[in-house]
Amino acid sequence: MSQSPDTPNLRFSAKAVAELESLKTHYPNLKACILPALWIAQREYGGHLPPEAIAEVAHRLKRSPAEVQGVATFYSMYNTGHKPGRHMIEVCTCLTCSVCGAWDVAAYLEQKLGIKMGETTPDGMFTLHGVECLNACDRAPLIQVGDEYHGPMDEQKIDALLERLRNEPESKVVALADALVQVHLKEEEREKARRAAEAVRN
Amino acid sequence: MARKTDAPPVNITINGIDLQVPKGELIVESVKRLGLEIPIFCYHPRMKPVGMCRMCLVEVGMKQPDGSVRKMPKPQAACTLPASEGLVIFTDTEQIHKDRKGVLEFLLINHPLDCPICDRGGECPLQNNTLFYGPSTSRFVEMKRHAVKAYPLSKHVTLDLERCIQCGRCVRFTEEISGDAQLAFRHRGAEMQPVTFELEEFTSKFSGNTIEICPVGALTSSHYRFRARPWDLETAPGICTMCSNGCNVWFDRRKGKLVRINGRTNEAVNEEWTCDKGKFGTDWMNNPRRASDVKVRRGDGFSRADWAEAYAEILERFREGGHEVAGLAGPMLSNEDLYLLRRMFDETFGSSNLDHRMTSVQGPAVEPPSFTIEGLEDEKGAFVFGASLSDESPIVYLRLRKAWYRQGARICVATSRPDDADAFAAVSVRYPQGGEAEFLRSLVAELRVQLEGGRSFGELADLASTLLETRGPILATESLWNLDQAGEVLAQLRLAAELLGVSLNVMALGANGQGAEELGVRPDAFDRTGLGTRQILEACADGRIRALWLAGVDPFEAFPDRSLVQRALENVEYLVVQTALETEAAAYASVVLPITAPGESDGSFTNVERRVQAFEKAVDPPAEAKPAWRVFSELMVRAEPRTPHFSAREILAEIAREVPAFQGVEWSAARDGGVLLGARRPLSRARS
Ligand code: SF4
Ligand code: FES
Ligand code: FES
Repeated sequence: MSQSPDTPNLRFSAKAVAELESLKTHYPNLKACILPALWIAQREYGGHLPPEAIAEVAHRLKRSPAEVQGVATFYSMYNTGHKPGRHMIEVCTCLTCSVCGAWDVAAYLEQKLGIKMGETTPDGMFTLHGVECLNACDRAPLIQVGDEYHGPMDEQKIDALLERLRNEPESKVVALADALVQVHLKEEEREKARRAAEAVRN
Repeated sequence: MARKTDAPPVNITINGIDLQVPKGELIVESVKRLGLEIPIFCYHPRMKPVGMCRMCLVEVGMKQPDGSVRKMPKPQAACTLPASEGLVIFTDTEQIHKDRKGVLEFLLINHPLDCPICDRGGECPLQNNTLFYGPSTSRFVEMKRHAVKAYPLSKHVTLDLERCIQCGRCVRFTEEISGDAQLAFRHRGAEMQPVTFELEEFTSKFSGNTIEICPVGALTSSHYRFRARPWDLETAPGICTMCSNGCNVWFDRRKGKLVRINGRTNEAVNEEWTCDKGKFGTDWMNNPRRASDVKVRRGDGFSRADWAEAYAEILERFREGGHEVAGLAGPMLSNEDLYLLRRMFDETFGSSNLDHRMTSVQGPAVEPPSFTIEGLEDEKGAFVFGASLSDESPIVYLRLRKAWYRQGARICVATSRPDDADAFAAVSVRYPQGGEAEFLRSLVAELRVQLEGGRSFGELADLASTLLETRGPILATESLWNLDQAGEVLAQLRLAAELLGVSLNVMALGANGQGAEELGVRPDAFDRTGLGTRQILEACADGRIRALWLAGVDPFEAFPDRSLVQRALENVEYLVVQTALETEAAAYASVVLPITAPGESDGSFTNVERRVQAFEKAVDPPAEAKPAWRVFSELMVRAEPRTPHFSAREILAEIAREVPAFQGVEWSAARDGGVLLGARRPLSRARS
């Protein structure tokens, strides 16, 4: 089925493999498992879905890599473009936020980080993105960082947020991917994955 | 589409006309019953509907109890709308015409409209639908989307992304029909691209079909690109010669030269598909190495000769040659060629040393295949043994895959190497190369155990139990004669077939290999005794055979033992090479006779399921080239006065009279759909 018959380089950790095995049992077929499997891959590959990650998912789900790439590139939350920074700052630019000053927030961020929307700082710390309605218009103008919402934003709050994020060693992008994997799993499945990870460590 | 014939009928109304159709039939199909047509792009009758392009909009209403019709507020896509009781359809209202205009205007927003330089121009569904249903001008003045022009997805297929209307036909073809799923849509919206993973090479063995089903000029043939405009083409029906499946094709010529091969619909054989080998295998026709002159050896070189000179020389050597002369026949000779070749050897040369088999050993005759390609769809399973069907029998492969995809047939595959069919096989088993006989012995043993109610463990047991549950035909190919223990392999296969109560089908590989079997182009046919291919070559090498005739075959290419071929051709005193190309063997010839290539003369082939399919001349041959049968006929007349044969039709009629298997075969039926020998199921299954 797969276009590259040779096995791709497999990088999933023991924990990821255990999680995927559990996830497979949730769906009637492996095709249906592509989305959660891509979340695992995005976490395992450091918040990014390079072609190798897609090939690995395809291989593990016995689907064609073209199909998996099609799915991954359809959804904007899978990072199939360039490798994102440690933290992704997503500025809502939809109606309510726009009216409440989203573009000022965006301009301030751009100026402060020295990058444009869609770009990543040279030190690999931040990636900036404009996004559509985040469904929290009551806090407009809103910013999302990983699984955190911040708003309403102004310049002081942005300064403080950036300062805090700079000192946070864990990638918010990876954390978000992990959170999304975890919500798909039952408690005992998470436990199983933890044990699998430990078994490798020992 | 899934066969819906057993569905109960329902009453629907189309444009005021009442009719009954099977429940669930798609409205896009129902309208055809009235001779109407709904414009479409993404819908393809052989694939699942997706409703992506919105071209097929119709107005829909429901009959109310009081007899009035209540229309739905919005139009519906006819390609995803199943027929149900009381449905009322309108395909020709003012509203619908407006809707179609709108859809086309949207589709054309990003389309480059480079029809004047587009291969598809003149036969383009987008052009046609726009002409019939679209707006004559555009209101769109903004920048169009721009993308790569002419991106080579493979050496066969070139993608022009700007022209793509994102219908998904190509993507669905690779997913549903060929099954390799090599194309998928990347990105979304206007940016969506039907491409391979990371733009890797599009290596599908059936990629050419996507060119034909693309409703615009987005996927074009790298070979045919810019070579012709459709209205300059002359087309003629033909039969592909690249393998034994016998795909029906169109030969498209420009100024007498073959420029393109397209699939021609024959529901019983290839439906409408072709494999890439056949579709892009046009080289033999326009090959610069075409042999076009009669040449005879004079000293160290060749000199041009005329036919009379060549015939005289040949007759001197072959006439009444008996066991000192021999012939080998190629897989692309027609039934007519082969029939007269055998008669010439029997009657004029008095020799039975004639064979067409190019496998390593030549065994006793095997019962002819009894499966039908179309019939595979109704099987619950099949057992593919030792064959890579996607390469050797691509159309049989597609049917098997379809049987699995549509009806859940459980296909079993046993090969020594991984195979494409593994992707859909219920059971795939590997045996070590050379271990075929042993593998089959264990399988037969396991079948016996299970027939008596027992069962072992492991994959062999799974294979046996699946075979016993499905009881589908066994499919192997003649390449089993290349195995070391071919006889034993065949015996075990027969045993397995007997235990299962199924047919054993040893499929021919060459375009007319089955025809050669039927017509007795083998030394043991019709109670004769002569030498088989290997023995003939050996006898040439040690001088027992003094004159050899190679009719449309280059044993260097076809026979596995090259050094034997070399010794044979070096040592045989006199060598006739009848060929369409300047082959390696031609260098050893005493006389070279140019023959027509397939498509350059009338004739018929017998395909893998024993279907005789006639074809008529599509392209002019090089001046001197003659159909092989004409040469045989002319030689026989020279040897002794008799009535010559004048046409392939006449010879086929004679074959029908003389060869029992061909009884009742008529040219016109053989040309229009083909005639199955053995009259198992002569008619293609009626479809609703
Ligand atoms: S390339 Fe052709 S067949 Fe494929 S999606 Fe585009 S228009 Fe449809
Ligand atoms: S518009 Fe920004 S959250 Fe809704
Ligand atoms: S043909 Fe019906 S939506 Fe495309």
